[in-house]
Amino acid sequence: MPQSTLPSASDSKVPEGSKKTRTIISEDPCWTLSLLPRLSDLCLQSIANNFEEHPLFEQLSSSQRDFLQQRLSPSLPLHVTANLIGDGVYWKRRCQQLWGLCDVSHYGHSWKRMFFERSLENMIELFIPDVSDPGNLLDMVHHCRDFVKRLRVSQLLTPVMDPQRVEEEEVASDNEYEGPSMDHFDFSILLQKLSRLEELHVVYRVKECGMNFEWKMFEMTDRDCESLATALESCKTLKVLRLHQSHVDDKKCRLLVKHLLDHPSLRQLDFSHNLISDKGARAVAKLLSRSSLQELDMCDNHIRDHGAKAIAHALSNNSTLLSLNLRLNRVRDEGGQALGEALLRNCTLRHLHLGGNEVGRRTAAALSEALRQNNVLRSINLSCNSLGEDGGRALQEAMCHNTSLTECDLRLTQVDEDIVSSITQLVWANQSSEPRQDQEKSGARREVDEMRDEAQEFTGQSWTYE
Amino acid sequence: MEEVIDVPGAPPEPAVVSQTLGNEQRASQNPIDNTVATESEPQKQNVQEQEKISAQRITNLHRHLTALVTNIQTAADARESMRRKDLEEAREMRLKLLENDMKSSQEKFAEITKGWSLAKDYVHAEELQIALDDQQRLLTILLQEKKSLINHLQEELKVGDDRFVKDLRKQTEERDLMLERMEDQIRTLTLAYREELLQTQAVNRQETDDLLTRDMSEWDQHIKTLGDTELDRLTERRKTVAEHEAKIHSLIFHTLDKQTAAKIEQNTKLQVMEREHQKILASNIIIRLKQIKERHELDILMNNRVESLPTEKKKSITTTHSTQPSKKSQHLSKEYKQSVQHYERLQKTIKQITLADTRTFEDMWLTVDAEVKQLVEKALDIDSLICKQHYGIAWQRPQLPVRGVHSDKHFHRSGHLQFSGLSQTNPASHRSRGMKTETDTESTDVEVCKDRSVVQSDGQAELEEEENMFSMEMLTKVMEPLWEEIGFLMEEDVKLLHCLDKDAQTAMKLGSLLSSLGIKEEDLPELVHFLLKYRQHQEEQTEDVCSETGESHDQAASQGTSSTSDLIQPHKVLPALKSFLQQYNKSSQQQSSARHTEAWSSSEDKAYWESLGNIISEDKVKLWEETEKRLKQYNSVLTEISELITETDSLKQQNAELRMLLQQSLNPQVA
Repeated sequence: MPQSTLPSASDSKVPEGSKKTRTIISEDPCWTLSLLPRLSDLCLQSIANNFEEHPLFEQLSSSQRDFLQQRLSPSLPLHVTANLIGDGVYWKRRCQQLWGLCDVSHYGHSWKRMFFERSLENMIELFIPDVSDPGNLLDMVHHCRDFVKRLRVSQLLTPVMDPQRVEEEEVASDNEYEGPSMDHFDFSILLQKLSRLEELHVVYRVKECGMNFEWKMFEMTDRDCESLATALESCKTLKVLRLHQSHVDDKKCRLLVKHLLDHPSLRQLDFSHNLISDKGARAVAKLLSRSSLQELDMCDNHIRDHGAKAIAHALSNNSTLLSLNLRLNRVRDEGGQALGEALLRNCTLRHLHLGGNEVGRRTAAALSEALRQNNVLRSINLSCNSLGEDGGRALQEAMCHNTSLTECDLRLTQVDEDIVSSITQLVWANQSSEPRQDQEKSGARREVDEMRDEAQEFTGQSWTYE
Repeated sequence: MEEVIDVPGAPPEPAVVSQTLGNEQRASQNPIDNTVATESEPQKQNVQEQEKISAQRITNLHRHLTALVTNIQTAADARESMRRKDLEEAREMRLKLLENDMKSSQEKFAEITKGWSLAKDYVHAEELQIALDDQQRLLTILLQEKKSLINHLQEELKVGDDRFVKDLRKQTEERDLMLERMEDQIRTLTLAYREELLQTQAVNRQETDDLLTRDMSEWDQHIKTLGDTELDRLTERRKTVAEHEAKIHSLIFHTLDKQTAAKIEQNTKLQVMEREHQKILASNIIIRLKQIKERHELDILMNNRVESLPTEKKKSITTTHSTQPSKKSQHLSKEYKQSVQHYERLQKTIKQITLADTRTFEDMWLTVDAEVKQLVEKALDIDSLICKQHYGIAWQRPQLPVRGVHSDKHFHRSGHLQFSGLSQTNPASHRSRGMKTETDTESTDVEVCKDRSVVQSDGQAELEEEENMFSMEMLTKVMEPLWEEIGFLMEEDVKLLHCLDKDAQTAMKLGSLLSSLGIKEEDLPELVHFLLKYRQHQEEQTEDVCSETGESHDQAASQGTSSTSDLIQPHKVLPALKSFLQQYNKSSQQQSSARHTEAWSSSEDKAYWESLGNIISEDKVKLWEETEKRLKQYNSVLTEISELITETDSLKQQNAELRMLLQQSLNPQVA
């Protein structure tokens, strides 16, 4: 274009040789307008190239921003980009550069959130206490505080021991190096600053430890528990807490619950695959009565009848809890009965899991009594219990009057096949009569998710029992 | 801790699995059968049914497949709970065992300690020895028991370890199985969904096809109706177009007719104009020719003078003049001769042309006249018929106007030719011809014409006489006073005249006078005649006016011969000349007008032709019209009568027939 617009006055002065080199655009068949970058594109390209020195984003129009998102280098430091560049292609590029395969649907379809959450998780998971510099982590937290909503920490490394020291200690004695050296990452420096954190999944374990296996790697120490408890208390936006497979015993449980008692936003609590027994259960029951929990998962713990009674008592007065999971505990008939009686008064609980709790006939009778009256409960799981013929019959009778139950698991409960099939027919009838298919679907999806988690946790679970 | 824990019996999982598998198969087969069945059924409601069925099928699939997977889980749970139970039991047993063991060992220990205390009482070595042995035996027993317990516990531990490992292995197996089944589930589900999709697609496609065909047919119908209506409209339009076209054509023809009529009219006008134009052109030519002739005459006069001049000059100045002017004059005379010849030729051609014109004119005249006469005769015959036959009136033949061809023209031309003086072509023949024509026309009015011609010839004869009488002297005598009077008109020439002799002087004077007065040389005798007449006229006025013209003529002639001096009074010359000039101009004008071959007799001809045209007068025409009307009425009445005659004939015939019939009918009755 500039060639064609040369002024004619200068043409006369141009010597012959240079005239020949000039070509007119219309004579060049290869020339198209798209070959020439537009000036605005060139400017944007230069902005992209010098973004680190002169960040310029807010002033641009949306199309120009899109252009920049495509062109900016993914290696730009976060302090430049974190707060300036909105969610979009740029963060997608960064994510795909780092991890390749990404499923953005798990992150609310926000690439930026995905990027920050995953990078923060990576940093935490690879953080070695006493070795790694917490400064880096704090920097990162500073940048991503506004974008992280969920942290899923799948491992926490233990401090590294010097081989020399290890040898010395081995020589000296076996039990002496218990103490501060085995503490894991301290969450208190982190959670306080993440102002938008809603979900926290923590597992105190080490992935792929191989032959370096030690029991200590898979345990939560007292100081870990303390620091975590204070950190949780400081994080006011937290809604979901999952702390599983981390050797949480009664003492730690009580400590954690003590700090969570007056938490303003906690909705979901998961202490599955731990070592909590009656005292811990009692503490959790107290939490139930004090906070507005909606889901409680205590599966695969050591809760017995006393703990169950406490939980049942709390449940009878609760009006927020929607789901209670007590799978693989030792509730027995006393606890089961108590829970059944609690269901008579409770009118919010929708899902109850009592699988593998050694409950029997009496519990079935109590539950059938509850099912006659309760029209809120949607699913109940009594698998792997010895309900017996009587219990099955009682449940069948109860189901004839119930219209809300859409799931009832009576597998491996020594109930007669006919009764089981009749009950399932009734349940399906309820299902089909219920127009809310989406709920059912979501339930199915949740089930599948659960199963997937379960499948993952089988490995961890296997370690917890001798 | 050496209790052997029962390995939990094989869980009932496989059975469940097989059952669920069967269910699944059934579940996956049934819907297909159903859908196949539904496909054969008529559609419309099928879609909903199909959807319902497919939803059912999918939920079934979900249930069974999830059950298939969760079965493993529940089995694992059951095994786990059972294992825990066993563990607890084993722990309890272990605890009991340990307790028992502790109790027994404590008893033994008490026995030993008692033994030791008893041993203090013993003094004898033997007794002591026995006691020691006893003690030793007890201790060994105790130790053995402990050892066996330890062994037992160790064994139990080993078994526990083995079982743990076995459990682990089993759990991994189960997990793998679960994963596998989950994958299977996913696969079957995807398959099912795909089938579902295909079926729904097929159903929907069928439905859409149906809809499409229906719509297409509808569409076709609509299009057809639309096309029909369009066609109708088109035909209507075509009709209207044709009508309009016809209208337009008629209009075009109408206007064309008008135009052509106007054109024809204009053409006729144009032709008339052209004719007039040609007439004008011809008159112009004649005028020009006349002018040429005049000029020629002037030239002759001038030539005469010029010829006379050099002779005079030669006489006066013979020596002085060189040969150059003579050469010049020779040259000029040559030119002059040439021009004279040219003029003569022109004159001849003019004569020929005029002759030809007159001939053609005469012929035409004669033919047209004959035709018209015939027509007139016819009309008169008809008129006579009408008069005699229809009205019974005696018919009088109206007088036909009679007219010759050259009655007037002849006079003018002959006069003119006579005046020209020079090269007279036989006017007599003209006249005789004119006379001939006059005699040819068999008219009753011949005498009138003859009279006229006689008068004319008289005038002419008189003039000829006078001309003969006027000698040159006479002329000069008459002219002298003229010259005296009008000399002032040519003062320049006077000086030259002095050097000439008297004859020449008078000739010159006369020439110059005539030229100045605009009178031609040929008219000179006429002038003289006029002047003489004028004087007589004056005399008559002054004396008595009762004397006859013929006498005065004679008197003037006698007077002219006797006394030339009082031929004319000098003071009366000027008014006389004036009056002559006036007359002369008039006559010349007359002459020029007479040269028009067509104009000369137009008025008379017109009258003649009109009289011919009006030979049947207006009253007669009215009469004719009336008779025509009457005749037409007669004719119509007659035609009616003829028609009625045929009718009556037929009626008569009918009547006869009827009479015949009547008679026939009457006859048999009579018979």
